[in-house]
Amino acid sequence: MGAREGGPPEGLLVVGVDIGNSTTEASLAVVAPDGSITHLGTDLTRTTGVKGTPENTEGALKAIRGALARAGRSAGEVETVLLNEATPVISGLAMETITETIITESTMIGHNPTTPGGEGLGVGTTRSIGELREQPPGEPVVCVVPPGWDFDDAAAALNAAVADGVDVVAAILAGDDAVLVTNRLTRPIPVVDEVSAVEKVPLGMLAAVEVAAPGRTIRTLSNSYGLATVFGLDPTQTRQVSPVARALTGNRSAVVVRTPSGDVTDRRIPVGELVLRGAGKTLRVDVDAGAEAIMEVVGRAQPLDDAHGEPGTHVGGMLAQVRDTMADVMDIAGQPDVPVSEIAIRDVLAVDTFVPAEVRGGLAGEVALENAVALAAMVRTSRSRMQLVADLVSEGLGAAAEIGGVEGEMAVGGALTTPGVDRPVAVLDLGGGSTDAALLTREGECTAVHVAGAGELVTKLIDSELALGDREVAEGVKWFPLGKVESFFHLRHEDGTVEFVDEPLPPHVFARVVVLTPDGPAPVPTRHGLDHVRRVRREAKRRVFVVNALRALRQVAPGGNLRALEFVVLLGGSALDFEIPDMIADALAPHGIVCGTGNVLGTEGPRNAVASGLVRAHAALLAEQARCPTG
Amino acid sequence: MPDRLSTPGPRPAVLVYRHPAAPAPVLRQICAGVEEEGVPTDLVDAPGPGDATTLAHAAAGESRLGVGIGLAASGAAAVHHGTLPERAPVTVVPAESAPPEWRRVGRIAARVVKHLPLV
Repeated sequence: MGAREGGPPEGLLVVGVDIGNSTTEASLAVVAPDGSITHLGTDLTRTTGVKGTPENTEGALKAIRGALARAGRSAGEVETVLLNEATPVISGLAMETITETIITESTMIGHNPTTPGGEGLGVGTTRSIGELREQPPGEPVVCVVPPGWDFDDAAAALNAAVADGVDVVAAILAGDDAVLVTNRLTRPIPVVDEVSAVEKVPLGMLAAVEVAAPGRTIRTLSNSYGLATVFGLDPTQTRQVSPVARALTGNRSAVVVRTPSGDVTDRRIPVGELVLRGAGKTLRVDVDAGAEAIMEVVGRAQPLDDAHGEPGTHVGGMLAQVRDTMADVMDIAGQPDVPVSEIAIRDVLAVDTFVPAEVRGGLAGEVALENAVALAAMVRTSRSRMQLVADLVSEGLGAAAEIGGVEGEMAVGGALTTPGVDRPVAVLDLGGGSTDAALLTREGECTAVHVAGAGELVTKLIDSELALGDREVAEGVKWFPLGKVESFFHLRHEDGTVEFVDEPLPPHVFARVVVLTPDGPAPVPTRHGLDHVRRVRREAKRRVFVVNALRALRQVAPGGNLRALEFVVLLGGSALDFEIPDMIADALAPHGIVCGTGNVLGTEGPRNAVASGLVRAHAALLAEQARCPTG
Repeated sequence: MPDRLSTPGPRPAVLVYRHPAAPAPVLRQICAGVEEEGVPTDLVDAPGPGDATTLAHAAAGESRLGVGIGLAASGAAAVHHGTLPERAPVTVVPAESAPPEWRRVGRIAARVVKHLPLV
């Protein structure tokens, strides 16, 4: 590309700088008077501050100096710094649980201790271990053992009671002692242990304890008619206890206590209404109707002018918060504040998800999977403060700095340097907060859209669906393939291959599902198996990136027809993901589209497209001026 | 040569090498931890100067399951696996620990046998 044989290239030294939500990239090049470009080097650093604010200057200068250092050039030689006109896009995320499971009056214990004792079903009246002798002989009793009882003492007390003729049919323990106690009993009974709130088990009530054989699940207490048989229920009562049966399905052990008004309820929480304005219509949808219903309404209101949540509800609070954050970002000292009313929500992505939540009223830390809706909202404003950043960069570097072009157009320009790409070309920029698409037609016209939801939402879905409660761990699950440590010296990868290691693996990863980070295996704190974690990860990526790729491309494709697209180039941080590009390519393949991860300049991969596009646009401008000089 | 206290059964077991002077309550809780997980133990008297890690390593080398527990005279305990270097045991618990810690030693030894996470 215009490099002269021998000697340094002649022309003006320019730097394209792309300030993104998470990274700032620079591309250094020499532009000859005829517009030919010689690329000298690139650099990448973390964006400082929120994109589009003066705090970006520090990162921009760092990236520029990094590129200069690699090329062996000095700041004094730079003719022009070209910055992107960032469309101020920020996104907010919220997760709203729409169901809730509540156990009232301690009707059941439905957890899965790792080692329950004995097996079978025992039905009797609940009695504390200290009061076993008070039970009249012949009447079955379920013994409740509070914390602090040694396993030998508990077993001795139970054996003594049985010897006295007390009909002990089952036991409920606070500690992790079920197998120890069962092994010491003269008469085998089912024993459920690790019931942390054992003192809340109502005494003097009819209770059923069931423990299944290893590898099996309970059959009686998870069956509505089984409960009806055990407790002698009529059809109305059976209907009432059916949620209990459902809640216990899949457990190896369970306890159900029949209390006069005990119940398990499965409540739907009103989350509020989403009001969408666009395409000359105002449409309303209940958030608890689920993602499909919400996205159908969003589709009918496209292009969206604004979205509001019902005041005083969860969704209202969430959208108001996104608006406030954006207003703060755009405020400039010494100028009037940006009115919140000027900030419009231009896109919403709803995703159905589930959240494992501790059951209210549970006695053993029971967890139920509650349904939830995750919302990503995207805001745009007309104001940008990039000019201020340009002025500060100019001051800091001692060279001219200007706004070189709009992000979407520049990204397409940079993507065109990928080998094998031609117009018409569409780019998909898979970012952290939003997924952006831009199309350059054969005639050179460019259209761009931003849709809500990207990498951050994927992380949030993984975090909540696996109940990790740790964003960093969720990021690890998103970024790296999984494995299972099978011994101190070998691990099985998620594709089934087994790797032997020379150094012993540390005990804290033994027998665990791990993410294979560059620093070695890191444990995923979950009881789920590798396949489940993998499914959650892939589903989160599919529901955000595949859905958004199709949504964004339909908005830029002529007539909304994906078949009219020929080349799709994936850019941005998430295009470096080990499976997202394949998932999008699979989804686009039926439409006859060539889709792949970009390789900007043939060397940079999916990085540096906007920065390189800025240089290209500037070179084209110089060539134009050379042909028809003004004045 | 250490003296075997319980006769080795036909089934493999976690071997517990304990110094004869080791505190009995510690041994009881360690064995309870293994038993609660449903794994058998065989007890072996091991007099001598070795610390818990040395005893555990020797026990793991003898155990047909490759898993051993060492209990020193002081009450310190360790879990070892036959594939690991001697000075890199699975876990070590110092003397004067609380009973739940002793129980955990047994549980971890059993969980190495069962290939379950060591919690």
